[in-house]
Amino acid sequence: MNQLETILEKEKRTSYPQRKKELFRFYIITLINQEQASRKFKRKLWIWLLLITAGLFLLLSPISEMMNYLILNLKNIDTVDIFIMAAVSYGFLFVLMVLLKKRIAILS
Amino acid sequence: MESDEELVRRTLSEGSHHFGVLIQRYADYLFGLGMRLTSGNKELAEDISQQAFMRSFTYLKSFNSQKKFKHWLTGIAVNCYKDLIQKESQYLSLNIKDEPNYTPHLEGNTDFFNLIKPLNEDEKVLFTLKYVYEYQVNEIADLLNQKLGTVKSKLSRAVEKLT
Repeated sequence: MNQLETILEKEKRTSYPQRKKELFRFYIITLINQEQASRKFKRKLWIWLLLITAGLFLLLSPISEMMNYLILNLKNIDTVDIFIMAAVSYGFLFVLMVLLKKRIAILS
Repeated sequence: MESDEELVRRTLSEGSHHFGVLIQRYADYLFGLGMRLTSGNKELAEDISQQAFMRSFTYLKSFNSQKKFKHWLTGIAVNCYKDLIQKESQYLSLNIKDEPNYTPHLEGNTDFFNLIKPLNEDEKVLFTLKYVYEYQVNEIADLLNQKLGTVKSKLSRAVEKLT
């Protein structure tokens, strides 16, 4: 028991200084900032993916509508209807893009 | 001198540069703890310290300011130690023939390292915290999220092994 106490007393007096503490601190802070930047980037990437998917969906839906319309009603094409439909779709897409851009600006 | 809790609050509200003060404050402490738990393996001790600081920053929002930051950080460092040991053992269990042998850089009070050699990881942690860092048993139970009775019984088993 006495020997155990002696070893423990010696160990309590032993110090283990972290070498190059200033550099270590700088390294950890850099790693932390790097991780934060990577997390932000991933979040932005997800938003852009969502934006692109929604955009493609909206962009393609009027085209397919137009194609169907053209195929079915080749004889009496009502171009006004097609333009209205396209204008509404692209308008909606524009609003969506503006909203998502605003959201990205808030996040960054 | 700003308190740890104040620095945590400022890190959360103003940015990671305030965390640098906490790193500076506890770098020696965590490195020392790592050295003791790994029996003087400098590389592993540095890894533990690094991981503990990184993890503590990630979970800083969950820090309860009613508790001591040092205790919370110690709990995280112990978890990092257990994770690293697990990874190391998985690595060592692989039969890699062409890899060069890894020789850890050992230094420190070898008497102490030899003393705690017969203890398992859990016992090493408890024994070191209790008898080198002089934590109270209830503090150890709190920072390791273990039951008081479990800590007591593991500690007495560890002491029994060493006497």
